[in-house]
Amino acid sequence: MGLMRINVGPIHPSTHGVLRLVVDVDGDTIKNVEPHIGFLHRGVEKLCETRMYMQNPSYFEKLDYISPLSWDEIYVSAVEQALGIPVKEAAQWVRVIQLELQRIANHLLWIGTLCNDIGQMFTTFMWAFRDRAQVLKLLEDVSGGRMFYVHLRLGGFQRPLPPDFAERTYNLTDYLERNVLQYRDVLDENPIFTERLRNVGAISERDAIDYGVTGPVLRASGVAEDVRKSKPYYVYDKLDFSIPTGTRGDSLDRYKVRYREIFESIKIIRQCLDMMPNEGDIVGMPIRLIGPPAKPDTVIVSRELPKGEGIIYMVPDKQRPYRVSIRSPGFINLAALPKLSVGAKFADLFAIFGSLDVIFGETDR
Amino acid sequence: MRTLEELKGKHFDYLKKITAVDYLTYLEAVYMLYNIEEKKDEIVKVKLELPTDKKSRLSLPTVMHVYKSADWYERELQEMFGIMIEGRDVQRLLLENWNGIDYPLRKSFEWGKDYRKEGETE
Repeated sequence: MGLMRINVGPIHPSTHGVLRLVVDVDGDTIKNVEPHIGFLHRGVEKLCETRMYMQNPSYFEKLDYISPLSWDEIYVSAVEQALGIPVKEAAQWVRVIQLELQRIANHLLWIGTLCNDIGQMFTTFMWAFRDRAQVLKLLEDVSGGRMFYVHLRLGGFQRPLPPDFAERTYNLTDYLERNVLQYRDVLDENPIFTERLRNVGAISERDAIDYGVTGPVLRASGVAEDVRKSKPYYVYDKLDFSIPTGTRGDSLDRYKVRYREIFESIKIIRQCLDMMPNEGDIVGMPIRLIGPPAKPDTVIVSRELPKGEGIIYMVPDKQRPYRVSIRSPGFINLAALPKLSVGAKFADLFAIFGSLDVIFGETDR
Repeated sequence: MRTLEELKGKHFDYLKKITAVDYLTYLEAVYMLYNIEEKKDEIVKVKLELPTDKKSRLSLPTVMHVYKSADWYERELQEMFGIMIEGRDVQRLLLENWNGIDYPLRKSFEWGKDYRKEGETE
């Protein structure tokens, strides 16, 4: 039987943005996939060159609207390094807590939408959204925004923490631990869910490195690579946590890696709450007090975002960045989609795509 | 490109990013490599002088045979900076209806100008 070319989309797969795929199939087997991206291209890199340093964070939050704080933090860190501003001690602990909360919120939403993508409709989705809403509520009370925070300032935060922050975060971690354990009953021990993902979209360790996939996708193939361990930033080197890895590199392993990362994040948050100083100023500089840069030629900031490794390559200038180059994990993970899906069944295409956790805000930029 | 091949021999086998910066008189292509076993970074910069006459174009050889992850980054370089990739048939990646003569991330880009192909409408 000859090849048949099928056009998929442009569609809006669950929450990820707009994607078009051109798929060549032989019967039911995928022979080639060509992703077409760019529907969400806003030219963020170019826009940044025209705005003052601290006008840009809100653009970065819209890169990944599922975990905006992560991109906000990586950009603010790049500006801090360019201008030579140290981050206050207490603020470092609070940033780590909030970044891990954001990671949990991201993974919860991903689990929910993955289940929708593969036809395990709505039960897990509603559970995940219920739990994610609690995380967002806490971050809203800290920052003032439910989805987009923009409360990071150079050296710290916009305002002090609410007085009951530590207690509420403790309670939230207990709540999350209890609830996320329930997912195991409907997912891990559910053969319909596991068989739908097992051996689907597998990639070997060698190929994962060669194709440059990153984050949980890379770790699911057995490479224990995590920027929080390999190049610790903030206080991550004082914390005790492990890097979950998989063995087969298939969609099921990617699910398991992310599921275990939720518990690692809970562990990190609890350690931070125990170890952080009780007193301490976390308020950063007001926006208008920004001088000229301390003249490094380039600034490279690398962070472990929920979706993988994000890098900002910035060439600073006097009042605004001269060039900001963004390495987004979604971009490179999506580039590996043809490798992952050739040879699979057409019906598995979205089980593979969903497991990558691609978001088009950062893919198209 | 021989440098990249040598580095790959030294276990710098993970390509993180290819990007470029326009310094007005020249362009700089940046290759960010990573050694997963030893957790070491390596950055290779290639300086490309801008040609004086408008007809000749900048070009770089492809590194697809060394790093497969270079695929989309090379397409982006050509689309955004106009650095032609030798040895590959590079297709459009992000921009639709773009005229393919002007390059958005060059500093010569003008705000507010219509860069669509002739005859293209919304």
